[in-house]
Amino acid sequence: MTALFYQSLPASFSLVEALREPAAVAAVRRTAPDELAREELLLRKLGPRGWGRVHHFRNYYASDWGENGRVLSPKALDAFFRFVEEAQFPAGGPSVFLTDRGGIELCWEDREGRPVQIEFTGTGAEFYQAATEEEGVVAFDSLAQLARRLSA
Amino acid sequence: MSDAFPFQIPERLPIRIEPCPIVEAIFEARFVGLEPWATMPGLLFAQIREKYPEQKTLPVAQVPEELRRQDPALIHLPLIQFLSGRFLIQLGPRVVSLVTKPNTYPGWKVIEQELGWLLERLRTAGFIGETERLSARYIDFFDGDVFKALRLGLQVNGQPLKGLQTDLTTVLRRGALTIRLNVTNGAIVATKDGPKPGSVLDMDAWYGPMEADLFGNGLARFGEAHQVIKDLFFGLLTPENLASLNPVYE
Repeated sequence: MTALFYQSLPASFSLVEALREPAAVAAVRRTAPDELAREELLLRKLGPRGWGRVHHFRNYYASDWGENGRVLSPKALDAFFRFVEEAQFPAGGPSVFLTDRGGIELCWEDREGRPVQIEFTGTGAEFYQAATEEEGVVAFDSLAQLARRLSA
Repeated sequence: MSDAFPFQIPERLPIRIEPCPIVEAIFEARFVGLEPWATMPGLLFAQIREKYPEQKTLPVAQVPEELRRQDPALIHLPLIQFLSGRFLIQLGPRVVSLVTKPNTYPGWKVIEQELGWLLERLRTAGFIGETERLSARYIDFFDGDVFKALRLGLQVNGQPLKGLQTDLTTVLRRGALTIRLNVTNGAIVATKDGPKPGSVLDMDAWYGPMEADLFGNGLARFGEAHQVIKDLFFGLLTPENLASLNPVYE
């Protein structure tokens, strides 16, 4: 690649533009670090449908979708990935939803067919486990522990 | 991905080098907006117009909003600039940045002061919600082939690759910071005297959403990212090259 700086534009802008060769625009882009691992994780644990829904929530929902819906919170998405990495889901995987407040929610049934739900938000995660009638809120640093508990 | 930081940082870092290779430094916050894009430039301009009276719309603003929002390469690009004598502020629907004027790096103390001022103005403008990413990025230009001056290079069959155009990108970790280092010896920079061939060292260091809060730890995070880039820069240079840059120490 040859980087060109144009006098009228800052390098931060023109460098990015310089990377956008026609082929790159159509099919190839430089991914963020960990992005590939995260995409693979989604495919493995949520399946192609789950992957597609998350992709959709990230790229196709602007502010005020639905009735005053918010865009997906970056913190919620990061927490979601951390949880999915640790969690074990039953065959078929969980369903995934975007919530009005910009959170992302996972729902599945445990081995006895009882529902488990967890919503990741910008401040933590809220969960409900029907088998134990337990519900609560956890901070981001407790997600791995919660994932192991809800996976059992 | 390895968390090891492969460069040895010199114990003493210069406070100044001459000639200064910094073309541009960019301090960027990506965020979730609380207001529609159409209102954001006005809300910001009302806060900064005394210091940044000029404005310029960038070409990507011509791309329809739907396309910009769905293309990961476009979503975080700025659409408008506000200019002052020393800095410019760039704004997009999910990004705001403070950028130094080309080839006139004012030093970290001046930048830190301007960042502090800008954060207060952004807070008052009230359109920034959650922080997605905070970064510092430095773009340096060197005459000739910079790989001769770095402790970094490309090898083929165990032998250094010399004399060819080489572009090298790698991602490093240091604590919670992610750093993308991009080096090329095939760059052209626009100067007052016309285009000039040479090399570019582009270092981008950022915190993700869990570690960054623009109005909480934002200024401190920018400072930490700046320091890590400074460490990396001096860790990359060979002692001979550093000496040729006339370093001044405290």
